[in-house]
Amino acid sequence: MQKTEQLAEEPSSAAAVPAASGEASERGRPLPWPLLFVAAALAGPVLLVLARGLDEPAVQAWRTVCLAITVQALPFLLLGTALSGAINAFVPARVFSRVLPSRPVLAVPVAGVAGVVLPGCECASVPVANSLIRRGVTPAAAFTFLLSAPAVNPVVLTATAIAFPGSPAMVLARLLASLATAAAMGWLWLWLGRDEWLKPAVRHTGHRPGHSRLREFRLGFQHDFLHAGGFLVLGAMAAATFNVAVPRSVLDVFSGSPWLSVLFMAGLAVLLAVCSEADAFVAASLTGFSPLARLAFMVVGPMVDLKLIALQTGTFGRAFAVRFSAATMVVAVLCSALIGGALL
Amino acid sequence: MKRPVQVVLLVLGGLGLLRASLLTDLYLRYVKQDLRPVLIASGVLLLVLGVADAVSQWRHRGEHHGHRGHDVDTPGRASQDAEGHGGEDGGHGHDHSGMPRAAWLLFLPVLSLLLYAPPALGAYTAARETPAAVDERQHFEPLPAASPVPMTLSDFTGRVRQDRAQAVKGRDIGMTGFVTPRGQGGGWYLTRIIFSCCAADARTVKVRMYGSAAPPADTWVAVTGTWHPGGTLGTPSAPVALDTRTVERITRPVNAYTDDLPLATSR
Repeated sequence: MQKTEQLAEEPSSAAAVPAASGEASERGRPLPWPLLFVAAALAGPVLLVLARGLDEPAVQAWRTVCLAITVQALPFLLLGTALSGAINAFVPARVFSRVLPSRPVLAVPVAGVAGVVLPGCECASVPVANSLIRRGVTPAAAFTFLLSAPAVNPVVLTATAIAFPGSPAMVLARLLASLATAAAMGWLWLWLGRDEWLKPAVRHTGHRPGHSRLREFRLGFQHDFLHAGGFLVLGAMAAATFNVAVPRSVLDVFSGSPWLSVLFMAGLAVLLAVCSEADAFVAASLTGFSPLARLAFMVVGPMVDLKLIALQTGTFGRAFAVRFSAATMVVAVLCSALIGGALL
Repeated sequence: MKRPVQVVLLVLGGLGLLRASLLTDLYLRYVKQDLRPVLIASGVLLLVLGVADAVSQWRHRGEHHGHRGHDVDTPGRASQDAEGHGGEDGGHGHDHSGMPRAAWLLFLPVLSLLLYAPPALGAYTAARETPAAVDERQHFEPLPAASPVPMTLSDFTGRVRQDRAQAVKGRDIGMTGFVTPRGQGGGWYLTRIIFSCCAADARTVKVRMYGSAAPPADTWVAVTGTWHPGGTLGTPSAPVALDTRTVERITRPVNAYTDDLPLATSR
């Protein structure tokens, strides 16, 4: 099994990791998951039960939304983790080094455009990006792929065109703003990103000679799915809390101011965690808001939302998820403001 | 999470998905009909994974004992994994059997699907949502001659607010939906909840009902009646409301998250 080889490697990596960063101190913290998520995920049922006694409809609505997000995302998560397991076990690393330009600066935009090939929503892209890194793809390119894949694939763009009939500019603006954000984040990672923010597990390699590829695939698939699935449920619980606790009528308050509404819609995209295949319809239904604000909703949604942050925390580690999500949020809002301002 | 527990989780997950999508229509409470084949496939896949893992564990029991030291999922290890810092374990985050505690959370939706599936969204959600905007339409077909004219709630809203030809004026209209009480001030709405992907992106269409006492919340009803006058019909000033003539209870449709025409035969 893989573990024997890993044992052999251990002394060197063990020496390198604690020396590399101050994260060693964080390791000792008693709580395993980001507090925000646990709080948000638990706040829903706890508050509802405490504040209203057992107000059944509210608890039921929370459970329904939570289960709906999970059930909707599970097939995509399975697809993503299966792909990730397959890449890990069957695809030799040289394939990627041949396809992607060797200079990371050029690999980033190529990876962004390659996002077109993964039809699905954002849950699938996290495990795939993880396996790309394991196979030696530069993290910057993998993260660009992670961000662009759920936003620029044909399924999502078609849904956008259907949701906004008669305004092809919206589809174009979404495509361009998403690609721009993804590429900008890739380059930002090249410039400022540090490998020690990633949890050590993601620096692994896949197939080892002498082992059954099929067995490696199955075990990797199973591990990634259960692992990511747990975090998906956590994210779904947090999103359901906001979904049930914040009635849509609150939105009208913010629709008046153009700049505030852009920021508000970006924040809303994070909290609601709507699947990227459906967010265009949600954006279209929020008619009080300017096209720019709706564009921000559709650009931010597939890249940063509660279930994604939870998935990224599980896959890449908290140090990464916090920094990456915050930066992506800022870049996404800027890109949608610039591109949306020019096109819409 | 130990390997046998993983097997249980995978198998139960597969059974839960299959129960919800293949054996019953439970999945329609949460997601679109289109997702059914994918859900069935996912259920089968989870079952296969679980069974394959069980078989492989059964075959390998006794062997590999030296390698299986990590399978013992001590709390300290598990929390380190979950936090994302493998620390001195170095590469062990990838250990296929050492699962972070977060994976236990998957039992919640799985058991929920198997044992205690929550109901479809209803009056509670509808009461808290503002009605979704209907699509802007320039052209309206003439209404069919039938009386009452079967209509969807969205179509009715669109015609009341946008149809300059005022085709609904004086017509007897039939619609179905569920009851959402209006809260303070009494009265009720005929409502439908529609979503495009899953229940998290639910939108509500509502039509205010006049002229009859509110049936209990979440009751499905077929109503007939005429447009409730006010403002100018065909402009946004017109109230989306109906003076009811008849209100009849109907059985809840199987796929409730759609805005369907009332069935002509249901009356």
